Amino acid sequence: MSTVLQSLSTELADAVQSAGRAVVAIHARRRIPASGVHWRPGVVVATNHTISRDENISVTLPDGATAPASLAGRDPSTDLAVLKLAGQSLPAASLRPDTPPKVGELVIALGRPGPSLTASWGVVSRVDGPWRTWQGAEIDTLLRLDLAIYDGFSGGPLIDGAGRVLGINTSALARGVPVTIPVATVERAVTELLERGSIRRAYLGIGTQPVRVPESLVRKLELKVDVALLIVSVAPGGPADRDGWLLGDVLLELDGAAVTDPADILAKLGGDRVGRPLAARVIRGGQVKTLQVTPGERPTSRAA
Amino acid sequence: MTASTTADLAQDVAAAVDQLRGITVQVRTHGAATGAGILWNGGESEGRGLVITNAHVVRGDRATIELGDGTAARGRVVARDLKRDLAALEFEPSSAMASSVVRDSPPLRVGELVIAIGHPGGLVGAAALGIIHGVENGREGRTPRWIRADVRLAPGFSGGPLADATGRLVGVSTMMQGALALAVPTAAVEAWVRRSHAPVAP
Repeated sequence: MSTVLQSLSTELADAVQSAGRAVVAIHARRRIPASGVHWRPGVVVATNHTISRDENISVTLPDGATAPASLAGRDPSTDLAVLKLAGQSLPAASLRPDTPPKVGELVIALGRPGPSLTASWGVVSRVDGPWRTWQGAEIDTLLRLDLAIYDGFSGGPLIDGAGRVLGINTSALARGVPVTIPVATVERAVTELLERGSIRRAYLGIGTQPVRVPESLVRKLELKVDVALLIVSVAPGGPADRDGWLLGDVLLELDGAAVTDPADILAKLGGDRVGRPLAARVIRGGQVKTLQVTPGERPTSRAA
Repeated sequence: MTASTTADLAQDVAAAVDQLRGITVQVRTHGAATGAGILWNGGESEGRGLVITNAHVVRGDRATIELGDGTAARGRVVARDLKRDLAALEFEPSSAMASSVVRDSPPLRVGELVIAIGHPGGLVGAAALGIIHGVENGREGRTPRWIRADVRLAPGFSGGPLADATGRLVGVSTMMQGALALAVPTAAVEAWVRRSHAPVAP
């Protein structure tokens, strides 16, 4: 009779084996390959930061064969990229979209930084609500991991004890701290990237920094909050520049809501905002002024 | 997992660790603890104890071997291979000893549990639990050079056993590569023992 320890060992290896059938190596950079997950038939999800070229991309399949793949789209804000893989009879990953992982749940990160599969284990260390990446993408759930990351970690799946995929791992969204992009966010990004090749985001062309408004000014202008966003850069020719916003304006409200953190601006800039004017209240020259801005589409560069 | 599964698991781990401690020795050279060693099933070297450790754990020709029960014996290095980082020591055991059971088959699977025993920082018989990180697609019939395990080891684990969930030996913990533990596979150790140790044995 086998012990619980032996059963656990077998189950972990079974989970790795079954999930590993949908994990591929992505050759799209100079260094060692990164990982990818065969997400839907013919569609491979990888991380954007591990793909340094748009052409000449190949993947190593679990059986060791190499196949060409074409880049269907990429998005720096979610660090996701989608590749198309033609004519392969590879099983698609089994996903676990409905039950989010719990803190303390035993998980395995898989990678394929070459022909062979690699695994590291640990637990989910933090689960939280939606969060925004530094480039403005909204990620449905914050999933932080307590496990060691190795070469090939990014683009690989986080799996549960039954081998079901909980999301795509990346080390590039939180300063090297491993995080997992949950299934729901990946699904949305895959759909949009397959349709458009990029993820549309509205863009103002400003850089801001939180500042405390002097008490006298708060009283004089009858402000409800004493923190606002000082505009410290205006992209020449960008939407805000075109609509007359100035360096030094202090942004109080955007679209009717107070802004106290740059993320508050990003929250107003979903893809559907492009071309639809937003009202803003700013302090300019000691007075409150109402401005308007018509967001443009965010350029693909890394500008905020 | 239910609470009772966790409790059973904890008991199983403790039992496996206990058993493995029985085949793990401390290796001391010039009085200083330098690492761990494994009581190896010596076969023909009757009446003598055989310990396998890393070459970097025993630099001289002699070392003190301290068994799990606290008894010490003088060990003599009978074979050493710097390239493989392996060393074999013989000693006169004072009583009957446990010896390791090697896992010949089935092959290791990525994700399966492994247990390492060692003596990090003077902590005798410490255990670490991890999983197999990767299995090299070695060429047909060739033993891969290393077992790669996702288990957090420290210097005192060198030369100690890496075992599977049934307590059978799969490798000799040898070094860390980043967060990864590298162990010499037991098949390679056995081949080496046959090759280099047998002629020396009486």
